[in-house]
Amino acid sequence: MRISAFFETRWFPALFLLFLLVIPLTTNNYFQFVINLVLCYVLIGFGQQLILGYAGQFSFANAAFMGIGAYTTSIIFTLNVPILIALMAGGLLAALVACLVGLPALRLSRVYLALATIAFGEMTTWVLTHWNSVTKGGDGMYSPVPVFFGYSLDTDTERYFLIAIVCFVMVMIAQRMLASKFGRAFIAIRENEMVASCNGINIPLYKTIAFALSGFYAGVGGGLYAIAVNYIVPDNYDLFQLVIHFALVMVGGLGSMYGVIVGALVLTTLPEVLREFQHYQEMTYGVLLILFIVFIPRGLAGFLKDRRILPREILVHGWKEEIPHVREAAKTAAVFNVGAGAEDRGEEH
Amino acid sequence: MEFFILLSAGLANGGYYALIALGLVLIFKAQDMVQFGHGEVFMIGAFTAYTVFAVVGWPYLVAFFAAVLAATVVGMIVERWLIRPIAHMPHMTLVMVTVGLSFLLKGAARIEWGKDIYTFPAVFKSGPIVIGEVVLMPQQLVLVAFTLTLSVVMYLMFKYTALGKQMRATSQNMTGAQLSGVNIGRVFSSTWAMSGAMGGAAGALSAPVLSLLFPDIGTFILLKGFAAAVLGGFGSVVGAVVGGFAVGVMEKFVGFYIATALEHISAFVIIMLVLIFWPKGLFGKKDVTRV
Amino acid sequence: MAVDNVSMNIDRGCIHGLIGPNGAGKSTLFNAMSGLVPIKQGSICFEGVDVTHLPVHLRAPRGIRRTFQHVQLMEDRTVLENVLVGMHSSISTNPFKSVFGLGAEGSPDKAAREAAREVLQFLGIGHIALTEMGGLTIAEHRFAELARALVAKPRLLLLDEPAAGLSLRSTEALDTLLVRIRDEWGATIVLVEHRIDLVLNVSDVVTVLDNGSIIASGRGQDVIEDPGVKRAYLGVDEEE
Repeated sequence: MRISAFFETRWFPALFLLFLLVIPLTTNNYFQFVINLVLCYVLIGFGQQLILGYAGQFSFANAAFMGIGAYTTSIIFTLNVPILIALMAGGLLAALVACLVGLPALRLSRVYLALATIAFGEMTTWVLTHWNSVTKGGDGMYSPVPVFFGYSLDTDTERYFLIAIVCFVMVMIAQRMLASKFGRAFIAIRENEMVASCNGINIPLYKTIAFALSGFYAGVGGGLYAIAVNYIVPDNYDLFQLVIHFALVMVGGLGSMYGVIVGALVLTTLPEVLREFQHYQEMTYGVLLILFIVFIPRGLAGFLKDRRILPREILVHGWKEEIPHVREAAKTAAVFNVGAGAEDRGEEH
Repeated sequence: MEFFILLSAGLANGGYYALIALGLVLIFKAQDMVQFGHGEVFMIGAFTAYTVFAVVGWPYLVAFFAAVLAATVVGMIVERWLIRPIAHMPHMTLVMVTVGLSFLLKGAARIEWGKDIYTFPAVFKSGPIVIGEVVLMPQQLVLVAFTLTLSVVMYLMFKYTALGKQMRATSQNMTGAQLSGVNIGRVFSSTWAMSGAMGGAAGALSAPVLSLLFPDIGTFILLKGFAAAVLGGFGSVVGAVVGGFAVGVMEKFVGFYIATALEHISAFVIIMLVLIFWPKGLFGKKDVTRV
Repeated sequence: MAVDNVSMNIDRGCIHGLIGPNGAGKSTLFNAMSGLVPIKQGSICFEGVDVTHLPVHLRAPRGIRRTFQHVQLMEDRTVLENVLVGMHSSISTNPFKSVFGLGAEGSPDKAAREAAREVLQFLGIGHIALTEMGGLTIAEHRFAELARALVAKPRLLLLDEPAAGLSLRSTEALDTLLVRIRDEWGATIVLVEHRIDLVLNVSDVVTVLDNGSIIASGRGQDVIEDPGVKRAYLGVDEEE
C-alpha cells in the first residue's frame, strides 16, 4: 500500500487528532515550545498560501496580518474577554484590514501589488511601534496568560492543547472550504481571471473573500503565536517575518495544504537547526528561496506527492466517489476514445 | 526660513533616492522586472567604500571607484549565473528570485559586519557650506550633481543609443528582440552591470551623508527608491529623478509640519497612495493596472 | 475597429457557423457576446433581454457559455476540477451549504459531480475525470473545455475553433457531438471555425465575416458559392 493511502483513510483526521493530543507526553519543555510555534505557523502560513498559492495574488502583507492578530488578541484579552473570543477578534480585525488591503488588488498588476502590500506591511510595523497608548510601543508587551474556563494555561504544554485544537479545527475548515466552489474559484482566478469570469465567477467578490480569509487565518495564527511566545514586539512583524512566510509557502509548495504543514515544519525548525550558525540564517533563507523557486517550484509537497507519499489534493468534495465511475468509463474508453493514443488513464487504487 | 532648510535637506536626500530609483528603472526598462536586491547592491557599494576609505585608509576617490567596481562585478555575476539561466521564466519568478538574492547578499554582509553600526567619516575636510540659515555638506552637493548628470546620461542613452533601443526592445518582447538580432545576453549583462555601477556609486556617495552604516540599510534604501520610482512612474528616467527629489522633500516637510515620527514612513505612504490613486505616477507611460 | 456594423440574428436551437479570414473579427464578436469587450454602439439581446451591459460573470448564469481559441484550463488540476468550475454559479454560494453541506441538498459538490459525470460520459472522456490536465492530449483538452462549457446546461454555446489541433477522427466525433448537443440538450451553438468542412457539416446557418462586417449569411452551400465570399477567401486553402 502506498504511503499516501494512509493519509487518505477516513479515520486519518481522528487518528491525527489523537496523535496531536498524545505528543506532549513525549516532549520536553523546549520541544513543546517549538511544536507550538509550528502549529501557529501552519495557520499563519496558510494565510499567505491562500492569497498567493491559491488565489494567485501577489500580496505580501501577511506579516502585518499576523501582527494585527497578535496584538489584538493580547489587548482584547486584557479586557477579560474569553481567550477564544479574543482570538476570533484578532482574526476578524486582521480579516477586515485584509479586505482593505485587497481593494487596490482589484486594480493593480502583480509587481505593483507586491510593492504596495510590502509598503503596507512596513506601515503596520510603524503603527504598532508608535501607537504607544494601545500597543505599549517599541518595547513590546506581554501577551497575557490565557485562561480557559478559569484554568490558567501557564506552561507550554497547557497552551499546546489550546493551540493544537484551534489549529486542528481551523485546518479542517480550510480543507472543506478549499474542496468546494470557493477553492476552485480561487484557483480559476489565479489561472486566468478573464476565463474565470466567463464561467460565472465574480472576480472582485472572490478576491475579497480570499483576502479576508487569508487575513483571518494569519490573524488567528498571530494570536496563537502571541500566546505561545508570551511577549510580543512590533519589530517581529517586519519584512524578515514576511520572508519566513513567503519561504514557508515556496518551500512547502504553492497551492497545497500539505505544503503549508511541511513548510511550517521546515521553516520553524530551521532556525533551531541553524542555532549554531546564526550568522548564516539569512543567507540560508535566501539560498533556499532561490533554489526552490528555480528548481523545485512545486515545493516539498509537490515532490512528495509525485512520490506518492502525500496524497493528491483534489478540490472536489467526495471526489473518491467518482473512482468507480472512472473505472467503468475506462472499460468503454478503449472502444471509443477521444484523441490520439488509447492510453488507459483509469485511476489506480 | 525653515522652508529652505527643509527644502535643501530634502533635495539632498532626494539625490540618493533618485540614484537608487534610476538603478531600479534601468532594470525595469530593459527587463521589465523589479530588482528587489538593488538595495543590497547599494549596501555593497557603501561597505566597500567604507572598507577602502575608513579601514584601509586610501583616498576617497579610490574608495569610490572600488565601490563602483565591486557592485558592478556583483551585478554581472548575479546576472550571468543567476538571472540569465532563468530568463525564460515568468517575470514574477525572476522578481521572487531577486528577493531571495537580497537575503543572500544581506546575509553574506552580516557574516562580515554583523549587526553593528559603522560610522563613515566625513570626506571633505572643509566644513559645511552655509548659505543664510541653510547648512549643506559638500558631499551632498556632489551627490546631487552626480545624480543629475547620470540621469541626463541615462535619458540620452535610452533615447539615442543603439544599446538603449535594444534594451527597450528586449523588455517589450524578449523573443521578438532576439529574433531581430539583438544579443540578449549582452543587453542583460550591460543592464545589470550599469545598474550595479549605479547602485555602488549611490552607496559610495551616500555613505558619508548617511554616516551610519549597517547591513540592513539596503532594505531601508530600497523602499525609498521604490517610492521615488513609483511616484515618478516606473519606467521613466525623468520620473525617477523627479520622484526621488519629491520624496526627499515631502519627507522633510511631513516630518516637520506634521510629526517627526511620520518622516520615516512617508515613503511607504507615498507608495501606497500613488499605487491606489495614480498608478501611472507622474511621468509613467506603462500601464500598471490589470489588463 | 475590429467589428463594424454587424447585425446577427441567431435562432434558438440551431447551429450557427461563423467563418471568415483571419482578423475578420470573429473572436472579437465572441468577446463582445461574452462581455469581455465593450460595445460602443449597438446592443445584444439574449432571449428577449438586453444584455449589452451585463457584467461578464452574470452572463454564464444566464446560460451563455464559451470555449476559447487556445484552451484555457487549469493545467495542474484534474479534468473534474476544471469541469466543476463550470458549475460555479449553480452551486449555492452560502458557505454553510457549499462548504459544510448543511441544508437539504446535503454534500455540496455531490449534485455538481453528477452533472459533471453526465457531461463527461456524454463526451466520451469519463475515464480521465481524475487525471491532471498536464498529461492529456490536445483533443482531451478541447473536450474537457467543452465539458466545462456544457456542464451547466447552457442555452447558448459559443465555440471558438473547437476543432483546432484535432485529428480527423476526433473532429468527426466532435461533429456528431455538436449535433447531439443541439438535438438532445436543446442548446443553440455558434461555431467559429477555420475548418470549412466541419462548419458545412454541422451548421444550419453560416455567416461570413470579413474585415469586421458581414459579407454573406444563409445556408452553408449558398454562402460558399457567393462571389464575395470567394474573393475574401482567395488564396486561402479551403480543403483540409
